[in-house]
Amino acid sequence: MRKILKYARREYLAAVRTKGFIIGLILAPVLMSGGMIAFLLLKDRVDTTDKRMAVIDHSGVVAQALVEAAEYRNANDLLDKQSGKKIRPAYFFEQVKPDTNNPSRQLLELSDRVRQNDLYAFVVIRSDVVHPGPNTEGPHISFYARSAALDDVRDWINWPINNHLRKVRLADAGIKESEVKDLFYWVNVEGLNLISLDKSTGIIGDARIASPIESLVVPIVIMMIMFLMIMMSVPGILTSVMEEKTQRIAEVLLGSITPFEFMMAKLLAGVAVSLTSSAVYIIGGVMAVTYMGFDAYVPYHVLPWFFVYLLLTIVMFGSISAALGSTCSEAKDAQSLNFPAILPALIPMFIYFPVAKEPMSAFATWASLIPPFTPLLMVLRLGTPASIPVWQPYVGLVGVLLFTLFFVWAGSRIFRIAILMQGTPPKLSNIMRWAFRG
Amino acid sequence: MSTIELTNVTKTFDKHIAVSDLSLSVPKGSVYGFIGPNGSGKTTTLRMIMNILYPDSGEIRVFGEKLKSSSCDRIGYMPEERGLYQRMKVRDLLVFFGGLKSDNNIKSKVDQWLERLELSQWANRKVETLSKGMSQKVQFIATVVAQPELVLLDEPFTGLDPVNSEVIKDAILELQSNGTTIIFSTHDMNMAERMCDFIFMIFKGKKVLDGTLSSIQDNYANDTLRVQTEKGADVLQHIDGVEKINDYGNLQELRMKQNADSHQILKTILERTRIRSFNIVKPSLHDIFIRIAGPEAKETNHA
Repeated sequence: MRKILKYARREYLAAVRTKGFIIGLILAPVLMSGGMIAFLLLKDRVDTTDKRMAVIDHSGVVAQALVEAAEYRNANDLLDKQSGKKIRPAYFFEQVKPDTNNPSRQLLELSDRVRQNDLYAFVVIRSDVVHPGPNTEGPHISFYARSAALDDVRDWINWPINNHLRKVRLADAGIKESEVKDLFYWVNVEGLNLISLDKSTGIIGDARIASPIESLVVPIVIMMIMFLMIMMSVPGILTSVMEEKTQRIAEVLLGSITPFEFMMAKLLAGVAVSLTSSAVYIIGGVMAVTYMGFDAYVPYHVLPWFFVYLLLTIVMFGSISAALGSTCSEAKDAQSLNFPAILPALIPMFIYFPVAKEPMSAFATWASLIPPFTPLLMVLRLGTPASIPVWQPYVGLVGVLLFTLFFVWAGSRIFRIAILMQGTPPKLSNIMRWAFRG
Repeated sequence: MSTIELTNVTKTFDKHIAVSDLSLSVPKGSVYGFIGPNGSGKTTTLRMIMNILYPDSGEIRVFGEKLKSSSCDRIGYMPEERGLYQRMKVRDLLVFFGGLKSDNNIKSKVDQWLERLELSQWANRKVETLSKGMSQKVQFIATVVAQPELVLLDEPFTGLDPVNSEVIKDAILELQSNGTTIIFSTHDMNMAERMCDFIFMIFKGKKVLDGTLSSIQDNYANDTLRVQTEKGADVLQHIDGVEKINDYGNLQELRMKQNADSHQILKTILERTRIRSFNIVKPSLHDIFIRIAGPEAKETNHA
């Protein structure tokens, strides 16, 4: 044990004292959350260039309302109320008389005007738009633009057109709008978490409003931190074993320690590196959210599971990485083996969203009980507000423990043989033979 | 008493027999030289003694008991391929390697060895800044700093200049004088002749020589004539009774055929040129090595 600790200490210090580790510690979460940060920074940076559009109204009752709604919007909603700065583009609608003789030609001409940047887009309203009845085939309103799928104008015109259609329909039915105001009040469904009893005081607590932060963001962030820890330590184990083999340091070390001690020290150092990084992220993260007033969202009950699973997952994947690293005779081999070594950690990243959305589903439950996926997916599920049955993380833990023992056993057998072998490429058949036949 | 006892040890890699039925006894406090061509089984034997490789059959006893992993703490091992952490400082690296074997006052021993091998000024430099010779000396210190009772050195003189070779040779002999048993493999036959109490030669996995230099030479008759003449090797061709000529420039070694008459050979040479020196000697270790492993031996084997 003395030798394992001594060697692990060297490996740990060699890893955390590098500039790469410090830079990685800062950059990794920045890169992983880069999309979110960029979105937050750029969300108010909209194009404020005014947009001119044409409208062909076959019904004859909608276009004017659309023009008026746009004028109202241009007069009231374009400027930031505090700074007075323009934050939205103005919309201008030009009414175009429908060409009943050659409608296709008219659409082509308007499309060409869009292509020539004379118009931003144009809208075509069907004649039966007021009373579509059971005829729901095809669109009643068409919006033509360069990129119509993701367009703020298309979203906006829905509201004034439908609002005006509602008024027209009421008038046609002979009903005064003022008499049926309640008809148009929209009521929202509020999501709340379950009510629970405070055992110490005996008081039944109020339910908290379920927020997407609590339901999705927090569990995903916790899982991402664990994934980050795996990525920061496991590939490093593979590379460092390969380097010690190719630089012939391994044989010098094997003059003092056994292959098993060699591998255990590597794993211990990997665990220590990941615990250091995760402690920085978890403590830093908790302090940051507490400072921002979001501490109610921190799932403290998940943290013990997080660290237990993290420790085992580093040992599980790390033993395979050490074994694969020992089969490499050159850097090229290590590059090709890095992906399969972390593949079990990548698969949960492909399926995490449905698991986070429905953590109690059969799919989520079974996926989180497959040992290589358990650490990431179980922590994800535990981080959600859902009440995961108490037995599930324990069963998951037993599975992970058994898999870890198996991987350490097989990994150490491969390691013992391969670490001194030079010039033998890391073929799957060789690796399997060394693992099971010695 | 023997520090190492190998009994009928065999090691194979797939179908290749690296070491075959090897028995060897290394007396305590001796310097034992392992010689043999490349790939003959020297390194495999050393690795088995270090418990890095396990024999397929046979037994290895070290310090009077069956080899076990804890035995390695009493053995210093310098592999043929040098391996040092390039980014570590020299002193830190030596304290680390020494500390894996023993915690007993390693730091002061490291400083003593750095002083002894004239590396003190490099103690706080990174290994990557050292020359090849200096790196080799650092590797040597890493092997011996924990004061092992047995030291295994796989080709310790390879790549060293004569000055550094002498430094390492003196250090090895000093270790021996303090009671350490030394085994080293080498291709330098002169160094083996001068330093080793015992010489062991392995060829194609089998032991072919084992004993003191004189006992090995005794197995070969006084069949070598060392000659210096005015006209060099040219006049020594086609002499009756001479089997082979080794030309070393300033002197030539003639190997006599069995039952050849050295006086008759001397007379023939005198008829051709003036002789500066003429000695009947035992074959050198180099010559014996060549006789066993050289092309001549292959021809004999094929015949």
